[in-house]
Amino acid sequence: MTSASSLSRRLLTAAGAFIAVAMIVASVLISFVLHRFITGQIDLRLDSQIVFLTSILRADPDGRIVLSATADGPPFDRERRGWYWQVVGPRNSILSMSLVGARLDDAQAIRDERLSSPKKDGKKSDRPRPADGVGPDEDWLHYRIKQVDIGGKAVTIITSAPRAAVLGPLWEALTTVVSAFAILALALIAAMFLQVRLGLRPLHRLRQALADIRSGKAERIPGKQPDEVRPLVDEMNALLDQNAAGLERARRHVANLAHGLKTPLATLAVIAASDARDPAVLQTLSEQMERRIRHHLARARAAALTGPLRGRTPIRCRLVDLCDTMEKIYRERGVKAEIHIPDDLVVACEPQDFDEIAGNLIDNAFKWARSRVVVSASTEPGVIAVTIEDDGHGLSAEQQGVVLQAGKRLDEAMPGFGFGLSIASELAELYGGSVVLENAGAGGIRAVITLPMT
Amino acid sequence: MKILLVEDDAPLANEIAGALRREHFAVDIACDGEEGLHLGSTESYDVAVLDLGLPKRTGVSVLRGWRKEGRELPVLILTARDGWTEKVEGFKAGADDYLTKPFRVEELVMRLRALARRSSGHAAPKIDCGPLSFEASTGVFELNGLPLKLTGLEWRVLQALIMRKNAVYDRLDLTDKVYEGDQGADSNSLEVIVARLRRKIGHDMIETVRGRGYKLSDPAA
Repeated sequence: MTSASSLSRRLLTAAGAFIAVAMIVASVLISFVLHRFITGQIDLRLDSQIVFLTSILRADPDGRIVLSATADGPPFDRERRGWYWQVVGPRNSILSMSLVGARLDDAQAIRDERLSSPKKDGKKSDRPRPADGVGPDEDWLHYRIKQVDIGGKAVTIITSAPRAAVLGPLWEALTTVVSAFAILALALIAAMFLQVRLGLRPLHRLRQALADIRSGKAERIPGKQPDEVRPLVDEMNALLDQNAAGLERARRHVANLAHGLKTPLATLAVIAASDARDPAVLQTLSEQMERRIRHHLARARAAALTGPLRGRTPIRCRLVDLCDTMEKIYRERGVKAEIHIPDDLVVACEPQDFDEIAGNLIDNAFKWARSRVVVSASTEPGVIAVTIEDDGHGLSAEQQGVVLQAGKRLDEAMPGFGFGLSIASELAELYGGSVVLENAGAGGIRAVITLPMT
Repeated sequence: MKILLVEDDAPLANEIAGALRREHFAVDIACDGEEGLHLGSTESYDVAVLDLGLPKRTGVSVLRGWRKEGRELPVLILTARDGWTEKVEGFKAGADDYLTKPFRVEELVMRLRALARRSSGHAAPKIDCGPLSFEASTGVFELNGLPLKLTGLEWRVLQALIMRKNAVYDRLDLTDKVYEGDQGADSNSLEVIVARLRRKIGHDMIETVRGRGYKLSDPAA
């Protein structure tokens, strides 16, 4: 779980990020709502003071405004704490006791925060307008301002509350909310962690099962698995079976090879011990051993090709290269190759195996040909047939008889043909194709390789 | 005839070299790709025998190196890799022949002779020069229809001369073709060999071209 591509880490990181974003968004939304709510409460308090002031204001005969009762109830009785009021008439002003001789700014100088949009009915709103500004002690104040008419005189009433009255409760509430969220987030992440651990437990068990197989305690992974893991387990078991089968085949091949080499080796040992050494016998023995080795190597390679074969070989260029090579090898004989292959034919076969199949057959054709080898191809539904024709003597009636015997290996049938033919045929069969030998119309031998198309 | 043998397996290389020397060939051995590339690029050989699985540089890369430098010496690839894919790759890289291990030395010798003959422009396996004839496929000289007995050095000199009969063979080039890389070549001994050859085939067949080299031709023609 420490590697960069750990599943648990990935799941936990994703969940953690999601939870964090959700918590931040929720906190921002809640603080916004709280701010509005607290401001609303304070506005109500200030507005009711404005209403109260309006109700006790009177205009005396010489145009001055006076208060008919005391207006400095709590919280407007606390000196210099931001809770102020101020009434400005045309000739005089009245200030709250809490201002202690200071003055609020001119109502006109206080920034109006509200958009001055005209009301639909053309009348001005009845509610005081909000504003923000700096108070006498350079502290931030929240204002409510209203123009009223007292005995025919225009009077401006300003009330203020400290910003701290808004921010204090807000901060207090947010601290609680954010801590609660943090605890919630931690709880969620812990739950996620447990879930991931539980969810990934089958993988852990799978690892244990594979370790058991490696150490030889078990041969297969138990089939009882959660639905999501079962296909993987089935595939793994299939792979294990396939490997076991391949291993078995390889063991058999090695055993066969060893047995095949033992006889010539025994003969060699006898010859080595004797005085009379016939080079011809030694040569025959070494050829026998080589034949065995080549045969088993080719078979082993063919046997390794199990499971779905997904090779892709465009055949034209490979056949051209093979024919060029053959023309060089059989240069002395002056045999020429003719190739009639469309550019776009592609067989479902590994390039190396295609080279082996076609190479062995073209090689035979060059051996038998008098002057010419013709390589052509045709397509049938799902398969491509490559035809290699020489202008040699063809198969004798006897050879033809054995070639046509069903189920008989070509190399056993025709010893003179070399084992290249049987290798070609075996490889082609592994790819679901075939190799067929017959007499061509012109007299030579025609070899037809069929291989599936891609 | 001088062969470059590029083979990293020392026992096999020595066996092959021994067999080729019994056939009178001069043999230089390179035991890795770098050395092979260097020798093939700087020395003069009739044929190169090249293994594919070499240390330092693969056989195919050595071959490409020679061809890139314009060296046209015939190359026979001698390898245990017997798949057609490898053979095709070898020929595409510029090989002239391909022999897979294990092989018969007779087969190797026969192919080397054929390669050398073809590269010197002789289409027929038998080369005649007056009473002297050379069977390129077996390496046997005949004088008036009777086999001629020659030592290794004599055979190399005469083989080189008959491959270029009627033309002057430069003295230094001939020395290069006759002596192996680690043998001290001294031109006096070339004189001695030519003198011995003249005693065997007649004094008027090999002409000394002063300051240049030797020429083999039919005195009757």
